[in-house]
Amino acid sequence: MGPESRSTQRPVEAVLVRSLTKAFGATRALDQVDFTVSSGEIHALVGENGAGKSTLIRILSGIHQADSGTIEIAGRSVDFRSPREAIAGGVVTIPQELRMVPALSIAENLMLGSLPMKRRLGVLPAVDRQRMNAEAREQLVQLNLDVDVRQPIRTLSFAEQQLVAIAKALRRQCSVFILDEPTAALESREIDRLFAVLGRMKAAGTAIIYISHRLDEIVALADRCTVLRDGRVVTVSERGRFAIGDLIEAMTGRVAADQAGEPRVPGPELLAEESAQDAIQIHAGHTLGIAGLLGSGADAKVRGLFGAGSTPVAVRAASGSHSLLRQPGDAIAQGIGLVPGTRALGLVMNQSVRDNILLPNLFHLGSIFRIDRIRADALVNEMMDLMDIRPRRPDVRVGSLSGGNQQKVILAKWLARRVSVLLLDEPTHGIDIAAKMHVHALIQRFTQAGGGVLVSSSDLGELARLCDSVLAMRQQQIVGRVERADGMSEARLRAALERTR
Amino acid sequence: MVSGSVSSRLLGQIPLLTLLVLCAATALMTDRFLSPVNLNNILVQSSIMAVIAIGMTFVIIGGGFDLSVGSTAALSGCVAAMVMLKAGIVAGVVAGIAVGALVGLLNGLVIAYLKVNPFITTLGTMVLVRGLVFLVTGGAPVEGDHGLPSTFVGFGSTRFLGLHALVWVPIVLLALLSWVMHATPFGRHIYATGGGREAAYLSGVPVARITASTYVICGALAGVAGVMLAARLQSGQPTAGEFYELTAIAAVVLGGAALHGGEGTLYKSVIGVFIMIVLGNSLNLLNVDSYWQRVAIGVVIIAAAAADSLRSRR
Repeated sequence: MGPESRSTQRPVEAVLVRSLTKAFGATRALDQVDFTVSSGEIHALVGENGAGKSTLIRILSGIHQADSGTIEIAGRSVDFRSPREAIAGGVVTIPQELRMVPALSIAENLMLGSLPMKRRLGVLPAVDRQRMNAEAREQLVQLNLDVDVRQPIRTLSFAEQQLVAIAKALRRQCSVFILDEPTAALESREIDRLFAVLGRMKAAGTAIIYISHRLDEIVALADRCTVLRDGRVVTVSERGRFAIGDLIEAMTGRVAADQAGEPRVPGPELLAEESAQDAIQIHAGHTLGIAGLLGSGADAKVRGLFGAGSTPVAVRAASGSHSLLRQPGDAIAQGIGLVPGTRALGLVMNQSVRDNILLPNLFHLGSIFRIDRIRADALVNEMMDLMDIRPRRPDVRVGSLSGGNQQKVILAKWLARRVSVLLLDEPTHGIDIAAKMHVHALIQRFTQAGGGVLVSSSDLGELARLCDSVLAMRQQQIVGRVERADGMSEARLRAALERTR
Repeated sequence: MVSGSVSSRLLGQIPLLTLLVLCAATALMTDRFLSPVNLNNILVQSSIMAVIAIGMTFVIIGGGFDLSVGSTAALSGCVAAMVMLKAGIVAGVVAGIAVGALVGLLNGLVIAYLKVNPFITTLGTMVLVRGLVFLVTGGAPVEGDHGLPSTFVGFGSTRFLGLHALVWVPIVLLALLSWVMHATPFGRHIYATGGGREAAYLSGVPVARITASTYVICGALAGVAGVMLAARLQSGQPTAGEFYELTAIAAVVLGGAALHGGEGTLYKSVIGVFIMIVLGNSLNLLNVDSYWQRVAIGVVIIAAAAADSLRSRR
C-alpha cells in the first residue's frame, strides 16, 4: 500500500481523497467519500444542498478538518489546518461570494498578500506601485480583461471581479482550482469567457473542481462528474455518459417532471404600474416573468413595485383604487409580498423560524398590546407543514437552515398573510434541485388559487417553465415579450434578451 | 444537537453564574459584604444604574448605541429639582423625565432619519447636554434655599415592603418593559430591526420609527434615573452621572446582549449591573487601591466583549 507501488501502476492523481468522513454533531455530512481529480481534468461535483459538496470543498480548502480519511495532493499526503496552508499546498478556491476589498484598486486586490515592495531612500519599505500595476495589467490581459487597474475594484462588474479573483489564483501557481457556483450571476457571454479561461487552465494541466446547480453547464463542460447524495458518492461518470435527466435522478433519487403546461387565460388585474411606458400588470392566476441578467434593472423593478425602490411607484390595485407605494408597508397593505434576491434581505438570520414567519403578521395576531401566542403558534405550525420546512422546529435559528428551507420560510411569511400578489426576485438562486422544484410547485399552487406572481430571474430555463408570459429586460428597459401561447422556451427567451430595441 | 442546546443554555446563564460566584467569593473573604447596610447600599446603587441599563438595552437590541445617558441623567435631575422648587413634586418629576425623552428624541431623529452614526451622534449629545446642564444651573447644585421638598427627598431614603423605595422603580420598569419587549409587536419589531434592518424593512417594519423610539425610551429612562439620583443626593447635581454611560454599556454587554444588535434580554442587563456594582463594592471592602479598581473593571469589560464575540462565532 506504499505510495511508490501505487505510482508505478498509474499516474499520480492531482487530488486523491479516500474514505473521507466528517460529522457535525449527529449529522454525517460526509460518509466514506472517495473522490479523485486528474491533472488537466474538469471534474464536476453535483448534489442537492446538504449533500456534502460544500463540506468536501471546505475540507479541501482547509476551512474544516476531516474526522477520518486521507487526502493526497499530487501524491503528497496533506492535512490542511487553515485556508492559508491549503493555498500554500496549491489548492485555491474561488468562492461564490468574492471577497474583494471594495475601496482598493483592481491591482491592489489582485496582488494583495504579495504586493511588490521597494525601498524608498534605500531604507523605507514601500509598495512598488509601478511594478504592481504593470504586473496586474499583464495578468488581466492574459484573461482578455482590458481595464485600468488603478481604478477601485468596485467599478468592475461581478464577472470582471471574478476574473480578477481567477488571475489572483493563477499567480499563486495553483495545481488544484475549485470554483463554487461561478456562473450563478453571469450572463451568457460572460459564461463563455469564463469557460474559455477554464479551458486554457485545463490545457495547462490544472485540475479543476467545478460546482454548479446548472446541470446543462456540467454536461457541456465537465470531463467527469461525481454526484453526492446525503454525504455519500452516488455515481461517478465520464463525459458523454451523463445527461441532465440522469443527474437529477442521481441527485434526488427520483425522476424529474417538467412543469410546463398549457397556456392559461389571465384572470382579473390585481396590480398595475401606472407609468407612461413599459407598465407592468399582474393578473390573477397568472405568472409574469422578467428575464434579465445582473445589472439589467429587473431586480430594481421588482423592489420598486414593493415600495422599496429609490422613488415611490404609483400603482392601480385590484379594486381600481390608485395608490403610491412609498415604503414596503404601503405595498404590504395592498396585499403584496416580496421574496428578495438575497436571502439575507428576506430573513432576520439570528432569529427563529417562528419569529421570521410572524414578522409581517404581528398586528393581525391580537392587538398592539399583546400578540396572541396560541394563534401565532397555530399559524406558524400550519405554515411549516404547508411549506414542508425542515427541520420542523419553529424555535430553530433561521440562519442554520439550508438555503432551500430559508426560501420556504420567506414564502411562508407572505402566505401566512394571504397576500394576493407575490413578487419574487431570483427565487431559486443557489438552492438545490429538490428545493427548487418545491418552490416552483408552490408558485404554481399560489397562482392556481387565484394569486398573481411577478418573478424576475436570470435563470431562463426557470422562467420558461414557470411563466405565462415573460418580459425581456436590458439596461433598465423592456426589450421584448414572449407569451406561452406563442411557444415559450429558454432559447426564445435568450433570443429576446439578445435583441436590442 | 441536544448537547448544543444544553451548552448554549448554560452559556446563556453565564452572567448569573458570574454574579453568584462573585458574591460567594466576596462573602468568604469579608463578612462585611453580607451586612444589611452593605446589601442595602448595593441595591440602591444598582437600582439607579439598572434603570439606565434597561434603556440602553433597548437601544443596543435595536442595533444602536447611546453615550449620552450620563449627561441626560444629570440634566433631568437638575431640571426636575428646578421645576420642583417652583411648581411641586409631580411637575418636577414629569419635567425631568420629559427632558430625558426629549434628548432621546433628538438622538433618535438624527440617527434614524439623518442616518448619522449613533456613536458620533450620542458622543455629540453627551457633550452638548453636559454643557446645557452647566448653563441652566450655573454650575451650582440645585437645592433651593430650604432644600428640595421633604416628601421627594424622603423617597430617596424610605422603605416600602422592606425594600428601599428607589429599588422598586427598576423592579416595576423591568416587569413592564420585559413584557413590552416579548409580547407586543413593538418589542418584536425592535429585535427584528436590530437583527436584520433590511430584512425587517422589507417585511414592513417601520425601521426608522422603531430605531428612533428606542432612543426616546432610553432617554426617558435616563431621565427617570436622573430624578432618582436627585432624590438620593437631595439636590440636582450638575456633575452627576459621569461615566454612567460606560458602566451601563458594560453591564448590557456583561448581560449577554449582542453589540451588533438583535439579541439581548432586559433582566440579564440588570444582572450585568449587579456584577459591575458588586465588583466595585467588593474591591472597596477588600481595600483594593481605587486605581486598581479601574484596572479590574476595564478587564471585566474587555472580557465580556470577548465573550460576546466568541458567542457570535459559534
